[in-house]
Amino acid sequence: MDFIMSAYDIVKRFVLFSVVLLLSSGSIADGFKVQSAQVRKVGNGYILNANIEYPLTPRVKEALSNGVPITFQQQLELSHSTSLLVKLWQWETILWTSTLRYELRYHALSEQFVLKALDTGHHRNFPSLASALSALGTISSLNLPPEYLSDTDGLVLKIRSGLDLHALPTPMRPGALISTKWQLTSPWTIATWP
Amino acid sequence: MALNLIKRLSSGTAPYFSLAALLLVLAYLMSAATEDSSRLNDLFLIIFGLGVLCLILLTAILIRSLLRLYRDFKREEVGSRLTVRLVSLFVLLILVSTTIVYSFSVHFLHRGINSWFDVNVEQALDDALDLSRSAFGIRMRTLLRQTKMMSGVLRDLPEGDLNHSLRELNQLSGALELSVWSIDGQLITASIENPAIMVPAKPNEAIFRQLQQQQDYISLDPGDNGELQLRAAVLMQKKLPSHPEDLVLQVLFPVNERLSSLGKTVQDAYTDYKELSYLRKPLITIFTLTLSLIVLLTVLTSIWFAVWISRRIVQPLQELADGTQSVASGNYNTQITVAGHDEIGFLVRSFNQMTQRLTQSRNATQRSHRLLEQQTNYLGAVLGSLSSGVITLDDKQFLKTANVVSSTILDINLQHRLESPLNKLAENQGHLQDFIQMIFVNIQQHSSWQQQLDLYPGKRHQTLMCRGTPLPSESGWVIVFDDITTLIQAQRSAAWGEVARRLAHEIKNPLTPIQLSAERLQHKYLPLLPEGQTEPLNKLTNTIIQQVDALKEMVNDFSDYARNPELQLSNCIISDLINNVLALYQSNSKHEISLLDGSPSLTVKLDSNRFRQVLHNLIKNAIEASEEAGLSVVVELSYDAIQYNHNKWLELKVRDHGPGIPENMISKLFEPYATNKTKGTGLGLAIVKKIIEEHQGIVWAENIHPDGACIMIRLPLEDSTP
Repeated sequence: MDFIMSAYDIVKRFVLFSVVLLLSSGSIADGFKVQSAQVRKVGNGYILNANIEYPLTPRVKEALSNGVPITFQQQLELSHSTSLLVKLWQWETILWTSTLRYELRYHALSEQFVLKALDTGHHRNFPSLASALSALGTISSLNLPPEYLSDTDGLVLKIRSGLDLHALPTPMRPGALISTKWQLTSPWTIATWP
Repeated sequence: MALNLIKRLSSGTAPYFSLAALLLVLAYLMSAATEDSSRLNDLFLIIFGLGVLCLILLTAILIRSLLRLYRDFKREEVGSRLTVRLVSLFVLLILVSTTIVYSFSVHFLHRGINSWFDVNVEQALDDALDLSRSAFGIRMRTLLRQTKMMSGVLRDLPEGDLNHSLRELNQLSGALELSVWSIDGQLITASIENPAIMVPAKPNEAIFRQLQQQQDYISLDPGDNGELQLRAAVLMQKKLPSHPEDLVLQVLFPVNERLSSLGKTVQDAYTDYKELSYLRKPLITIFTLTLSLIVLLTVLTSIWFAVWISRRIVQPLQELADGTQSVASGNYNTQITVAGHDEIGFLVRSFNQMTQRLTQSRNATQRSHRLLEQQTNYLGAVLGSLSSGVITLDDKQFLKTANVVSSTILDINLQHRLESPLNKLAENQGHLQDFIQMIFVNIQQHSSWQQQLDLYPGKRHQTLMCRGTPLPSESGWVIVFDDITTLIQAQRSAAWGEVARRLAHEIKNPLTPIQLSAERLQHKYLPLLPEGQTEPLNKLTNTIIQQVDALKEMVNDFSDYARNPELQLSNCIISDLINNVLALYQSNSKHEISLLDGSPSLTVKLDSNRFRQVLHNLIKNAIEASEEAGLSVVVELSYDAIQYNHNKWLELKVRDHGPGIPENMISKLFEPYATNKTKGTGLGLAIVKKIIEEHQGIVWAENIHPDGACIMIRLPLEDSTP
């Protein structure tokens, strides 16, 4: 009986999996959102201040609370846009890209959420998920590379943030890659220049 | 395009092995992709998608193969039934075995993965975590009190001593770091035990928010390297002139190294277990999906392979069936391509040998048959050219063979009566009754026999000489018979000829002295006798002279009959010849002798003198026959050229209107002294026959209805004669 149930369960899952695979390009749940992004001139350089909202889905929260580390990435892209054919067609040259990666995990013993910058190894502890996400979403005074900023005319800085699903544990990865509950990447948002 | 691809993939042998290899690679990749540390992890979905594509392609190919098999089965093509049976058997085996293996695999997969997790272990880990928290809780409460005390101490101090007191408190408490912050996050002062660290760790916003709500903060903080430290933060209830906001004292305490290590172990174990437990479901799903896909691919491939292998197995059998049908329909040259070195190959080779042998023996049989036919034809030709009739009977007295002459002699077409019982031959053929009776009587004795037999076919008399010889192994009889009627007649004619010659020779010689002596007696003694007595002497001597004349005449006839002069052949116009003879009979007005119209220029090569004698004898015979019967003499002659037996003949008929010929006389009419007349020597018709036969002709007599008889003569005509 157990076999039959298992087989039935598997067939059901397989069918669902196939359906999801076919419809994976469908609608996406409410994802991350870049609330604001401003470039400010400080001295001779420019800094970026941005605020990103991270509304996590219950599925992600469940994984987090079960000890699965979640990797966030914030992508920055600086490009130079040239107008061709009277603004009908923009030619963009990407000058600089940067990805900031953070790992958020729950530390059960201390009941703290540990946010670790994977690039620097620096970590911060937060007593609640909301405070951790709030801290994660606050980009303040991020220095922009000065070599591209001598002339800011036509410069475009875009920012977006999402989950790095490839950093998930192997068994979760296929499911996450095709599930809308894990597709939370924000659209590109253009930062405002002073 | 896709149909072509499917068609090409599902024909020949290479695609089967290519697909099998591809599926093996796919199975390996899928299994590798599910491993935790594999670089193929990220490709899992692509590999899985490829697997599903393969599955769809394979399903299409398999459906096509099965449809083709179903179509063959419906059309009842040779071998399709066996193929269907084999495929069904294979499919059943594959499905049963795979289902069992698959079910057990899934079951063990579930049980195996679930067995990693245990309620007791989970509870123990929860308890360990709680215990750790409790252990740290006591310490945290102590440290919080200590921090509050420090805060009390610092609160009462003037701003200038704050830094110094902080260092002292740091040394006294053994804390890692003491720092004073304004509530809006500005650092006032700090004391750090580790001289390498210049800036103290800033409390995060959440701590400030909590402190603003008048709640002290104490927490266990994981450090950079996983070591633990305790962070306590309290409001100092003190405001500095330079900083009017509330001040916050934050103290970082170290955790005992042993305790930290234990705490870290508990944390790691708990987190790992929790994560693993959480990943259990997706793990099972992934494994089961992979397993299911591989199993499905394997099953479909196996079924496809089953169809292919069944067709391969059945193909030589199919060819064998076709070959057998071909042999059954008479085509012995059928050869089948040898399939391999297994039993079926052996069967095919045996079949080929059998057909070769059959061909050889058929050729041999045909040769024997031809030889037999030649011999039969040869024998038939020999038998056909025999003047004797030859028939063979089998052991049940059925007529097996009969030559042409036998049919001619017996005056019945035996060729139409082959394979019929002998006694059936006599039906409607009364004259054969004696012949068949004689055969039945003689074959009882099981040894060769010989017998002469007289038959009366129609109104003729026929004498047969029959000889019977049993065939080897008592398988029947061969019966040879000759028509010796002509031979007997010839013998009789020869005997008569000899008698006639002797009579002519022995009797004729004394007749002249007798006649002369009688005349001398009459001449010498008649004058000497008295007048009254001369009459008897005259009468007696006249009688002697007349009788001697008669004897002479008879002897002359015999002499004529016995005479065998050479023929003086010349071309004669037959009508002239007949008319010359008829002219001699025109003087008697009572006799009506006429020649009916015939071809006036018909020329025949014959001895005219002897043929005149024939005509005289026939006309005289006809006249005498009519006169003796007291009938008026009416004789009609007619002649014509006819075609008989591939030759031209002159047919001459001499017909009278007399009483006809008695039935018993007809067959003997032309023999010497075979006469019923009062006049004549009985040699007239015998002489006719003799002369006609000397001319290579034939003569016979027939009675004519309603009255009279007819003598028929046939003489051969030259080819050039019109």
